[in-house]
Amino acid sequence: MAAPMALRRELFSLARKISGVSHLTPRALGACSSHRKCNIIRSHLPLASSTSFHTATLFLSTPSSITVTEEPDTLFQKVSLLVKGHDRAVLDSYEFFATMAAKELGININKVHELPKDMERFTLLKSVHIFKNHRVQYEMRTHYRCIELSHITGCTAQVYLEYIQRNLPEGVAMEVTKTAMEKVPDHILEPMWEDHPIDDKSSQ
Amino acid sequence: MASHTSKAFLSLGRINVSGLGLQKSVSRVTYATDLSIRSSNVNKGLPDRGDRGFFRRPRRTAGEPRTEKMPVDQDWTAVYPAATPFRPSSVPLPVRMGYPVKGGVPPEKKGNLELIKIPNFLHLTPAAIKKHCEALKPFCTEWPSALDTDAKCDEHFPIKVGSTDYVSAGLSVRNPSARIVDLKVKLSSLNLDDHARKKMLKLVGERYCKDTDVLTITTDSCPLRQQNHDYAMYLLTVLYHESWKTEAWEADKTVADMEEYSWEDSPSQRNILDMLVRMKVAGDREGEEVREQLLGRKEVQEYKDSVTRLKNEGESESTMLQYKEAVKKVLNL
Repeated sequence: MAAPMALRRELFSLARKISGVSHLTPRALGACSSHRKCNIIRSHLPLASSTSFHTATLFLSTPSSITVTEEPDTLFQKVSLLVKGHDRAVLDSYEFFATMAAKELGININKVHELPKDMERFTLLKSVHIFKNHRVQYEMRTHYRCIELSHITGCTAQVYLEYIQRNLPEGVAMEVTKTAMEKVPDHILEPMWEDHPIDDKSSQ
Repeated sequence: MASHTSKAFLSLGRINVSGLGLQKSVSRVTYATDLSIRSSNVNKGLPDRGDRGFFRRPRRTAGEPRTEKMPVDQDWTAVYPAATPFRPSSVPLPVRMGYPVKGGVPPEKKGNLELIKIPNFLHLTPAAIKKHCEALKPFCTEWPSALDTDAKCDEHFPIKVGSTDYVSAGLSVRNPSARIVDLKVKLSSLNLDDHARKKMLKLVGERYCKDTDVLTITTDSCPLRQQNHDYAMYLLTVLYHESWKTEAWEADKTVADMEEYSWEDSPSQRNILDMLVRMKVAGDREGEEVREQLLGRKEVQEYKDSVTRLKNEGESESTMLQYKEAVKKVLNL
């Protein structure tokens, strides 16, 4: 009983030794591929449209239909993007991407500056029980980047912001503050009390 | 039998042992490439892995990496069209990342977890950005060329509506702070007369900034941004029309309610006129017409200007000097 089992074990070990080298690389790749799959699943959800968008540029087949409506476009006097992240290098790269995209689309950039980083620190006890004199300190660093754009129309802003936000890297958050401009509406141009008597309290 | 049970234990504990093996290798500060060697050693110690459970088909040998076959002038946007983690066999760069081994260099890109962990921008090279923007250009519109300066924008579009969008990763895409809308308008651009302006300032109170003449209405009571925007416009409309109305009780406005100091019928006027009459500047006469005549004098007018300026603008070098000159002239000092 034991002998044939031993033989089989030896055969298998021999086979493994022979194909030992080939075992190494697939193993490493196997470890990486599981990572890759998770990442792909994660990144598919926000970037679904960009993948289809990329294939559109590659195929260059159907021209996308652009609808033009009569509705007047909103005008933004100032659009300010504040990008926050834990890694300064990632924010550097993102800033390069955002500024280049703005230049390509013809959006004028007012100012690109870096706000000082925030560090949130806290001190905890190192041990589970007693030892109050031995503590451990953690900190969380938040780096900022501010990009200010001026004089953008609503359509351009929508296109640019969607492009930027779809390509926002993992672990980075963004706040967009838009200042739209509007005309004084018609019902505020003239007071209505001049035509009607004061005791007509019906407001528009 | 003992061998069977021992084999069973080995197979059951297969995962645990390999797990322990992995942990041991990590604590010894080796990298993923070394890990694969260790795990294959562990396998050699458990030969029954092949005949129990699943049959391991012999693996194909991996061919040479794609980087060897890449031409220099290839289309990189085809290699990395979308955001994907780092693939060492697809990136023809000799990148090294990680803490250097003692007396050595950072580990190479093959099997390097550090390179996979960080977000990469390989799909956003300048060529790719140019391609994307070329495709996006038809959807953009031009800014009207007549509105190049801020002054022109303020003249034609005085109302400014500000709102904030938030993008972050989390359990929910929504952010409740995104509903806040603030409306800023300069009162000089609205059609208001003197009384309407004063009433408007009294109605809004804190929301008006005197230095910049900007009225700010911040609304966050409605759950949606569109609703908050409509509410802010409604508030502006109501304020405007209410400030033009004159109610019956506004006639009871006392001197304490006045926003600005006015010299007519003030103690200062009475005092100066009494003093001038007592000094007998206009001769030995009494009565209303004397006071009116005194009022019409140039020095008295100057005094009036200096006092109003002092009260309204506060004390400063120029106002005090002006007051001093006016007093000297009126009292012939």
